[in-house]
Amino acid sequence: MIPAAYPDLASLVQAQLAIFPEHESYLSTRFRNAAPRDLAFANELAAMIKTIAGQHLSHFCADYRWLAEVIIEEEIFFRREGRYRLSTFAEADAQVYSNEPYMRRYVNGILLSQLWWANHTSVMQYFRDTYLPGLPAGARHLEIGPGHGLYLYMAAREPRLASVAGWDVSPASIAVTTATFKALGYPGRIDLALVNLFDAPGGQFDSITLSEVLEHVEEPDQALRAIARLLAPGGRAFINVPVNSPAPDHIILFRTPEAVFDTIREAGFDIEATHLAPISGATLERARKLALTISATAIARKR
Amino acid sequence: MKLMDQSAILARLTEIVRTLFDEYDGPVDASLNAKAVKQWDSLANVQFMVLVEQAFKVRFTVSEITGLKNVGELMQVIQKKLGH
Repeated sequence: MIPAAYPDLASLVQAQLAIFPEHESYLSTRFRNAAPRDLAFANELAAMIKTIAGQHLSHFCADYRWLAEVIIEEEIFFRREGRYRLSTFAEADAQVYSNEPYMRRYVNGILLSQLWWANHTSVMQYFRDTYLPGLPAGARHLEIGPGHGLYLYMAAREPRLASVAGWDVSPASIAVTTATFKALGYPGRIDLALVNLFDAPGGQFDSITLSEVLEHVEEPDQALRAIARLLAPGGRAFINVPVNSPAPDHIILFRTPEAVFDTIREAGFDIEATHLAPISGATLERARKLALTISATAIARKR
Repeated sequence: MKLMDQSAILARLTEIVRTLFDEYDGPVDASLNAKAVKQWDSLANVQFMVLVEQAFKVRFTVSEITGLKNVGELMQVIQKKLGH
């Protein structure tokens, strides 16, 4: 399925299929027509995931299988009802965030989804290859909700950035990000802290990543205004939101990429560039027509 | 939903297959299954089955959504739910 030139990707596919053989057709389709550049990025990502999982790789693969089954249940509800199952942060907190065993499996599964779900991989590649190189030298970078830590790790490896920080309101999430940096052997200093973005002083960053966060908060417009406030004049934000993407803790449904981009503009940003990544196996046209998941990403500059 | 014969059910299913899996141009008959259609993965299967629910005004169980083997089995389940 995977050419020999990409050994980490090939071995991770094999590890996943040993746990989840029913996923073979999906993964085969996922990588069938991938360009060499995309396979090289996937191979690099696979190497990082294998390092993070370490001797627990089979557990991570089992957690991904579990996540895929959970997503099916959410997809059934979404397709029948036309909305996400939950609508408040309190519900998501009770069912997911405060449920430690559930949360651990969920985060592990999400880590593997960065590779197995084409839209996730595509956005991460866009972040590394387009967003980061466009930042000015000396930029102060922050990620809100760094979770699995791969975006923050890629930023931390960018030598032109003056500082890199990660904020979350969940100690468990900060612990996951810390573990990622430790596993990957990052030698520098990362400022990981329990901070609520609504409470922090403004104007202290030149770059902020907000990846797959807005669909988790009750007032995404207010979160975006808080991001704008944290940015220095002319600062940039990398904002990634999946549309039509049911998950156990998604409470805000964006139905189109344009709805995401309009919300970003209304919060005080100009959009400099966008990137649309449809779900694995779908063209953008088909994803729009059938209301399938599209990761809608904007590089936005504070107005 | 009024009584429907097998050919009428298959005709409706064929419309749904053509809508959802636009790259598949092979035959739609009782033997057709997800393996034969590149776009028919587990998430697309949910979308397919919910479209079938809406078309026939029936409701499937989760195990029916995830476990049916082919279009022929699906037709049998639809007929059963329609009271045939």
